[in-house]
Amino acid sequence: MTEETKSVCEQKNYESLFNTHSKSLRNFVYYKCGDIQQAEDIVQDAFIKLWDNCAKVIFTKAKSFLFTVARNLFLNEVAHKKIVLQHRVYLPEDKTIETPEFLLEEQQFMKKLKDAIANLPEKQREVFLLSRIDKKKYSEISEITGISVKAVEKRMSQALSVLREQLGNI
Amino acid sequence: MENHFKDSTFLARWISGELTPEELNNFKNSKDYQALNKINEASKLLETPQYNSDALFTKLQTKINSKQQDKAPTVVKLMPTWVYGVAASILLAFGLFYFLNTNKHFETTFSQQLTVVLPDNSKVQLNANSQLDFKSRNWENNRILSLEGEAFFDVEKGASFKVLTQQGVVEVLGTEFNVISRDDYFEVQCLEGKVRVESLIANKEAILLPGKAIRILNNTTEEWDFILTDEPNWLLGESTFMNTPIAQVLLALENQYKVHFDTSNIDLSKRFTGGFTHKNLNLALKTVFLPMEIAYSANDKNQIILIDSKNKN
Repeated sequence: MTEETKSVCEQKNYESLFNTHSKSLRNFVYYKCGDIQQAEDIVQDAFIKLWDNCAKVIFTKAKSFLFTVARNLFLNEVAHKKIVLQHRVYLPEDKTIETPEFLLEEQQFMKKLKDAIANLPEKQREVFLLSRIDKKKYSEISEITGISVKAVEKRMSQALSVLREQLGNI
Repeated sequence: MENHFKDSTFLARWISGELTPEELNNFKNSKDYQALNKINEASKLLETPQYNSDALFTKLQTKINSKQQDKAPTVVKLMPTWVYGVAASILLAFGLFYFLNTNKHFETTFSQQLTVVLPDNSKVQLNANSQLDFKSRNWENNRILSLEGEAFFDVEKGASFKVLTQQGVVEVLGTEFNVISRDDYFEVQCLEGKVRVESLIANKEAILLPGKAIRILNNTTEEWDFILTDEPNWLLGESTFMNTPIAQVLLALENQYKVHFDTSNIDLSKRFTGGFTHKNLNLALKTVFLPMEIAYSANDKNQIILIDSKNKN
C-alpha cells in the first residue's frame, strides 16, 4: 500500500500517525502556551478530530491537518503560562575538570537563557524552539506554523537577536 | 550589532549552515559571534517536560471509544428505509392508474341532466337516469360509446361514431341524433346528417335522414317523422312523444320526477302523443293523464295509483 492510498481510518495507520507527530504537536502547542496539560489536551482533541474525519483526510495530508486543527484549537484557548524548560548538563570536551565557579556560572547562564526564551514573543519562541529542541528544518516549521519559509527565517533571526540583547555580553 | 542584522534572515541561515564560507568567516570575526554561538549551543541542550506517548495514546483511545459509545444509541430510525420505498411505489401506482386509466364513466340519477364533451369536441347530453361509458385513449380513431338510457349526440365530423346499446348500434359520420335505450325499448331520432341504425334484437337495419325517427318495440319496427328542432325538446325542459306506448311515457315521468306509478289498473299498450314539462309534477301529470282519460291519486310515498277512468265508467 502506498502512502497515498493508506486509510487514516485504519487503526495501525492512525497509530503510526500518532507516534510520528504527537510529540512535536504537543511541543508546538507547549511553546505557544507554556501549559503542558493544555498542550496534551489539544493534542488529544486534534487526534480525535482526525479520527472523526478519517474518511475525508488523505494519509499524506494528515500531518498538516493535525497542526492546523491544533493551531485553531489553540486560538480558542486563552490561558497562557510562562513556559518552563529543562536542560541536559553540558560537558565541554576541552574542559575535563569543572571548577565549582564554572558550574555556577554555567547554571546561571542557563537560567537567564530560559527566562529570556520564556519572554520571547510567542511567534519567535515557537520557531526558535521547534528548530533548537525538536531539530525541525525551516521547511517543516513552515508547514507546522502555517507561514512561509522566509517568514520562519525572519522570526528565527529576530529570536536570536532578541536573546543576544537580553543576555548582554557573555 | 553589525551589518549582518540588516539582512533579516542572516542569523537563520547561520543556524541552518547555509552561509557561504566567506560570510561565515566574517561573522566569526565579529564581536557578536561568541555570544550568539553560546546561546545557540546552550539552546540545543534545552528539553521540554517529559513526554509519555503511550500513556497519551491510551487516553486518546478510551476517549474515542467512549465517544463512539455515546454516539451509537443516538441513531434512532423512526421508520426502516424500505417504508419510504413502499410509500413511493404506492404513490407511483396510484399516479399511473390515474393517468393511464382512460375508461370514462358518466352517470345521471333522477331528474338530473349532464353534458359531456368528448375528446374530439363532440357533445353528449345525458337525460335523467342514464349511463355513458367510453375510452378516451385513441379516441379520434375509435369513437365508440356505450349507452344505457337516453342521450342526445352532437357529433363532430370524423371517423365513424358508434353508440352501442343493449338494443342495437347507432353509427354516424358527424350529425346530431337522439337515442333512447331502456329495457326492451329502443328509439333513435335523427336531427341532422345521416344515421344508420342497426337493431340487434329485431336484426334490422335502417338509415335515418333528418326529421326521421325509428322505434323498435317487441320486435316491431315503427318509423315516423317529427318536427325538426335544433335540439331535442328534453333539453329545453320538456319531453315530447309521438304515438309512444304509455309505458315509455310513464318511465320518462318516473325518471324525471322520481315518482313511482302503480300501473296494475291500466292498459299499458295505449299510445300517447304529446309532451310534459320537467318543472312541475302536477302540471306534467295533468297534461299526460287528462287526454288519456286516466285518473290518478298520489299517496305520501311518491307513489301514484293510476285508474283507467273509461273502464271505471
